[in-house]
Amino acid sequence: MDPAGGRWVDERLQRFAGDTELELRTGWFPNRDRWCGVYSEWRRIVAYRRRGANAYRASGDGFRWRRLCSCWHLDRGESLLMSADRSDQPTSSLAAHTTAVAVLSVAVAVVLGDSGVVMLALPEILRDFGAQVWGVAWVLIAFNLSLALVAVPAARVCVRGDPAVATAGGVICFTAATTVCAVAPSLGVLIAARAAQAAGGALVIVGSLELLVAASGAERAGVRRWAAAGVAGAALGPVVGGLLTSAFSWRAIFVVQIPAVLLALPVAIALRGRVVRRRPTLDTSPDRPHMLANLALALLSAALTAALFLLVLLLVDGWDRSPAVAAVAVTAVPVAALAAGPAFRGVRAGTRSEAVAGSVLIAGGLTGLALLPGAELVWTLAPQALIGLGLGLSVDSLTAAALRDRIPRALHGGWTIAARHAGVVIGLAILTPIFTADLHHAQTPAEEAIASLVLDAPLPASTKLDLAEQLGRRLSAERGRVPDLRPAFNTLHLPASQAPAAAALERGLEDQLTRAATRAFRTAFLVAAGLALLALGPALALRDRGRS
Amino acid sequence: MRRVALPLIAVVLVAAVLGVQVAAGGGHYVPLRPANPCTPRPVPPIPAQLEPLAEQIVLLGLDSAACRLGISRERLVLALADTRTLTPETTAALKAGLGEAVDRLDGEGRLPKVSQLLPQALDQANLPGIVKTIIEATPHSLVDSLLPTGPLLRQTIDQLDINQLLHELHDPSQLNSALQSAILQAALHQILDRLRP
Repeated sequence: MDPAGGRWVDERLQRFAGDTELELRTGWFPNRDRWCGVYSEWRRIVAYRRRGANAYRASGDGFRWRRLCSCWHLDRGESLLMSADRSDQPTSSLAAHTTAVAVLSVAVAVVLGDSGVVMLALPEILRDFGAQVWGVAWVLIAFNLSLALVAVPAARVCVRGDPAVATAGGVICFTAATTVCAVAPSLGVLIAARAAQAAGGALVIVGSLELLVAASGAERAGVRRWAAAGVAGAALGPVVGGLLTSAFSWRAIFVVQIPAVLLALPVAIALRGRVVRRRPTLDTSPDRPHMLANLALALLSAALTAALFLLVLLLVDGWDRSPAVAAVAVTAVPVAALAAGPAFRGVRAGTRSEAVAGSVLIAGGLTGLALLPGAELVWTLAPQALIGLGLGLSVDSLTAAALRDRIPRALHGGWTIAARHAGVVIGLAILTPIFTADLHHAQTPAEEAIASLVLDAPLPASTKLDLAEQLGRRLSAERGRVPDLRPAFNTLHLPASQAPAAAALERGLEDQLTRAATRAFRTAFLVAAGLALLALGPALALRDRGRS
Repeated sequence: MRRVALPLIAVVLVAAVLGVQVAAGGGHYVPLRPANPCTPRPVPPIPAQLEPLAEQIVLLGLDSAACRLGISRERLVLALADTRTLTPETTAALKAGLGEAVDRLDGEGRLPKVSQLLPQALDQANLPGIVKTIIEATPHSLVDSLLPTGPLLRQTIDQLDINQLLHELHDPSQLNSALQSAILQAALHQILDRLRP
């Protein structure tokens, strides 16, 4: 055996230049006082310690394992023999694997998209159940809080049992809870069903991580696919939810999820027993969660949720845009997120660089939303593009960093999900009271601006008195929300000569309300930008390993 | 260098977007701020009709009252809309403000003569036909000398019960009736004062 053939970077770094292209090298490599076996992916690896003619199984074996080597301390006279069992290579067709990867990716995207899918439906849910903003926010919070709490225990279930079985159980639980969401008769039932949805969804997400790696045939590809599906789901969720709400109703959001996730059930069943995991040994003990990457993910998720949640509320409630228009408007975020990869391909230089740039872009985009110069949708596009670029650069990169070289993989997947959704909950918990209080405080300047315009309007005093009375009723009836003043004008019976002045006054009052609502969201957007800037701390502290 | 390229690009992109937004007025897209009520507003030409005259007096009076109370005109109007929260200070300030408004318009020579307002006032007044005929037959010069507009309006304001008036804002007939009554009484006082030796 030629020790020089090993190409080690150092004894414990366990990386080497050849990466996955290196075929299995049966034999042994000297590495100071340790002996390491090197193997590539797609092989079941069995390591033997050999002393003379006797060989016995060394602890630990691997199958398509991310860490491409294991080290053993050998006694004098011992050597290491590694064998590969080619019969364990996948034998099913490429098409079957492609289908399985696609179906599992859709399931992950749907479940993670559920985090924000109801954002654009909140105003309709609010009207349907006659609730307040804070109560309806629990439709979002319940899902994210439940997912944050259940993700790690669900991952432990996957680690101890078969991830395929856990995924199948999760699919059944998720679809049952989603059905209840679709027919929920009250806000309380909807919130409870959302929590149950997240519990089942947690199993689907962490189980799918293992299944995607198994179906992809390579750990890196599987993890990337899983992270990308999560980013796509989180970014597209509000858009799809808004379009479905506009076309049908908020209940349609849940109806379409059921078949999309149920498709993962036969795939999970087909992959039973296919996930081979490395058991922790002395050499491969379970890793601690990647604190920095998970902390950065939590802070960025808080900021990103704020971006979507607040922007959607601003567009629908503050600017009186329909959910469909708002859904189309917020597509700027996912489009930019998808464009981030190709756009920055030439300058990407590792997780730290990407996480720092992503944090800066997200914070800058949120600041842009806080400083909108008008209520035209076009003004939101550039800030949204910044947020989308930041999302595309940072979240999948941080997720990959949090999972890289860590075992058990499902458990670390669980930690990233828990961190992200804890961030979502924290973001909602911090920002919802801020913007509802600001919306409440915005009433005074809005009422004063309305009073000023009515007093100075070129209309007869008697008309102004009638109008003032009607406006007062509208403002009292919709206290705590942005009022709709049109009914006040509709009840006026004006001569044709006064109609242009009344129409101009109506436009002026709507403009004042829009200004007040936009101003009311400013502090919340700035606080969210602060959360994104806080993510710079852990991002800068990341050990940058580059993109191998 | 490669490691800082991406963050630098991010900073440049953010600076560009924020720069454009701030240059376009970002940060100043806020509701109209109420004007300082202590700064006199320009008064538009007042047609010789009762309603525009009354409206202008009320608008200027609101400014004066708000200035006295140290709040905006708009805040005062919103406070007046809720009659349950009215305080004696508010009604006193409003009465004083209306008086100051009449003084200002009188001083600037913007008040129309009573003879100009009389035809419209008689149309709306609930007076016996014979009385209306006598008043219409009275020469305008005599009317204007007996009833100068400024003193008549000041007297009318003195006669007004502001609290009652605010309660009747939503009922135009009650409001007109209260105003007519105050104007008639004021006119009577003025005529009697003039006729007294």
